[in-house]
Parts: sequence; C-alpha cells; structure tokens
Amino acid sequence: MRHIPEDELHAYLDQALSRSQCVEIESHLAGCAACRAERDGIAALRDRTTALLSTLTPPRRFMPAAEVLRERAAERSAQRRDRWRAGMWAASVMLALGLGWTGKSMLETDAGASPGVLASGTDSPDTTTLPLADTAQPPAPAPSDPAAEVATRTPAPGTSSSRPVEPAVDPDFTAPVSLEPVSTVLSSGQLPGTPLNVDNGTLFRTVSWDNARNERGESMPRIAGLPVVEVQVGTSHGGTARPLVVVAQQLESGQVIRTIEGPATDVTKLLASQRSDTGSPWPTIADSIGIAGGDGAMAMRRGDRILAITAPLSSDSLRAMIRRLNAGNR
Amino acid sequence: MDELEKLYQTTYTAVVRFLYRKVWDADRAEDLAQEVFMRLFQHRPEKPRAWVFAVAANLARDEARAAIRRRKHLTLMTNDPGQAPSRMAPPADEEVEHDEQMEAVHGALEQLTPRDREVLLLWDGGLSYPEIALQTGLAVGAVGTTLARARRRLVDAYDRQHQNRDHAAHS
Repeated sequence: MRHIPEDELHAYLDQALSRSQCVEIESHLAGCAACRAERDGIAALRDRTTALLSTLTPPRRFMPAAEVLRERAAERSAQRRDRWRAGMWAASVMLALGLGWTGKSMLETDAGASPGVLASGTDSPDTTTLPLADTAQPPAPAPSDPAAEVATRTPAPGTSSSRPVEPAVDPDFTAPVSLEPVSTVLSSGQLPGTPLNVDNGTLFRTVSWDNARNERGESMPRIAGLPVVEVQVGTSHGGTARPLVVVAQQLESGQVIRTIEGPATDVTKLLASQRSDTGSPWPTIADSIGIAGGDGAMAMRRGDRILAITAPLSSDSLRAMIRRLNAGNR
Repeated sequence: MDELEKLYQTTYTAVVRFLYRKVWDADRAEDLAQEVFMRLFQHRPEKPRAWVFAVAANLARDEARAAIRRRKHLTLMTNDPGQAPSRMAPPADEEVEHDEQMEAVHGALEQLTPRDREVLLLWDGGLSYPEIALQTGLAVGAVGTTLARARRRLVDAYDRQHQNRDHAAHS
C-alpha cells in the first residue's frame, strides 16, 4: 500500500486539496498508523512554524480608515491628470506629426527625389552617402565668404554632389559652419521632395529671406550652414504675435529640411494638414523637456509657440537639431 | 462596504506583517502597506488579494534596494561622534527575551532560500496555494513541496541557533 507523501499531507492540512483528494487521504489515514503519525508530526511542525513566525509581528498600530486611503488615492489621481494634461500638447503634436510629415516624407523620399539627385548619385557614388554618415572627412574650414559658398552649391542638385561632401548636418553640431543664409530663394516649384501643403486655411506667402527677416527680426528658425531655398510666412492673426514661418533648406543630399516656428495652434494645424493617405509609422517620442516626434519630424514646445523640424532624418538627429535651434533662437 | 474595502479590513494587518518581515522596520512596513492599498483603490485589479501581495513584494524589493544605497551612504557618515545611539531606558526582561526570540526567528528565516522564504511568508500572509503559485511562478503542485521544505528548514535553523546559544551560555 502506498503511503501518503509528505507534501500531500502538508497540502491536506493546508486545506489545499480537492474534496475527492481529501476523501482518499482520510480513508487511507483511517487504516494506516504510520501515516497518522506522520500527519501528526507535520501538524506539529505546521503549528510551530506559525508560532515562530508570529513573533515577527510589528506592534499593532492605528489602521487608517479605508476612506482616508481612498481620498489620498483620488488626490494622487487628480495630480496625475494635471500632469497628463500638460503632456497633451505633446500628444496632439505627435498626432499631427504622425498624420502628416513623418509618413509623407518617409514615403516620398524614394519616389519623390528629384531626378537630378539620382543622376548625380550614379555619377559619383562615393559622394552620395548621407552627410550624417560621413564622419571620416574632416569638416571643411569655415568659408571666408559664406554667401558665395552657399550660392555655389545651392541651386542645381545635379552639380552639388561633384563637390566634396562636407558634413552639412552634424547631429552633434560639433563644428557648426556658421553660414548666413542668402537670398538664393528658389520658388517652391523647384524644390525637390515634398511640397508644403498650405491648403489649411492659413494664407501663406512665399517671401524672400530679406523680407522675412525684416518682418520677423532676427528670429528666423534655420539650421546654420545650409542654404535656404524657400521662406513661407503665414498670415498674422493681428496682435503682436509673430506669424508662423516655414524655412526650407536643402541638405547636401538634395533633400529638404523645413524648420517651422509659430504660435502653437497654427503649427499644430499645419502639421496635421500634411496628411498622407497611406498609413505611416507614428512617432513615439515625447520627452520631459517638451520635445515630441520621431524619425522624420520633431516638435518642441516653447511657451505658447512651437518649433518644429521635418526632414528625412532620424529622430536622434532631429532632436539634436531642435535642441540646438532652441538654444540659439530664443 | 465594497469588496475592496472588505479586503482592506481583513488583510491590512497581514500585509503589514508580510512587509515587516521583508523590510524589518515597523514604520516603513505600515507606510508601504498603505501605499499598497492606495494603489488597490486606484487600480481595482481583478484578483485583488493576490495583487495586493504581489505589489507589496515589489515595493519591499524596491525598499531593500534603496536601503542598501542608504547604508552605503550612512557608512560615510558614521564617524560622527555626536551620533552615538542613546538608550532611553533599560528594557524589561520580557522584552529582552522577546527581542532575542525575534532575532533568532529572523536569523532562521534569512537562512532559507529566497523562494522557500517567499512561499512561506505568502502562505502565512493568507494566500491560497493557487495564489502563491500565481505569484511565484511555481506549479500549484509544487507549492506543497516547497512549503514542506520551508517549514522544516525554518524550524531546524531556529533549533540550531538555540542549541548554539545554549552551548555558548553553558561553557
């Protein structure tokens, strides 16, 4: 006859067995003195453990009413909600970015790149790598005549890659080439890549760099060292707030990076209007200092205004750029 | 009274005890227990009793990590002579005996493997075999085996300590 294993007797005494298991054990115990002795031993062991553990009991104290804890929990939830609301701008901007430029620029980078860029790529494949990846080349010394420098390499994508590639957009900005953008403003029709969809009720004017600067003073958002190819200014809603401005600049690769600065509502609206018909990967980053976005687009809140960048670059590069912009463009 | 409040009334003391046996500080145990139940009222989980002990175990683990950091920090400051501990009043004999016994059980408990200790404390906290299994990742069938071993080892370790102390006292 099989005796009852020790662990089963523990489980039996702990009332952890099913009714049928209990019946089976009890009928065995009735006819087996050895198992009865074993059971008594285990029962004593069980009691002793409980007694020993009971010495490890802190002095009994006041137990708060459940209501008190409930209230404290509710207060904390309310605080969380406030923080959550503060984070909502980021969510709305991310939504806008997700619906708009991220997907769009990602999708159209392949299809929409201008033929000139593609052709130049085949001419000299060694220079067509993305400038970001090109760290082996020492950065070019700052040109003495920045305007001329920009002018020579700006307009025609077909000729741009025949020049040595300088790290035009250094993600860490270790050696920013401090170029003043010049008046080589192209019309939007000449821009490679994605045209800006401005059909969202905001009236845009394409203006020259100088005019834009006259209107907005020094606070033109832009990446130092890149030629400006287009400046668009939104209509001011009256009052003293500076209107929304979009500065398009050309990367070494021929692709366009747009820097947007304006009242928060206008920027969010503009970003949301850049809707793409196909699904797009949603940006997932929103960090504590108020930057939202992901690969392709990034936005930063500054009081009631938003600074945003869209470009076919990784989120890390965009984040570094927007931080830099924010620091230099207050 | 809703289900959660009933659970609070019936398990609060057990949770404080469970936490006390992990953090070894009555005040902290109470603070953490209150934190556990505040979270319970916020989250309203599906299996509240098992949930309460799972959260308590997590908080205790975090607490232990923080305590290690604090201790490291304290060792840098203990050379301060003004900080010498001062006893308020000599404790009564009963108290001494109780403290000694507590220390012996504490020492015995610390000799168990973490898993055996956890299962034993959860059982003593009032969880059922399936609830213990859920929290520890053990099969339900293995809970009895683990408890059997944990009980035996706790009692053995305690008795061993007592023997050693008696030997020391008589020699």
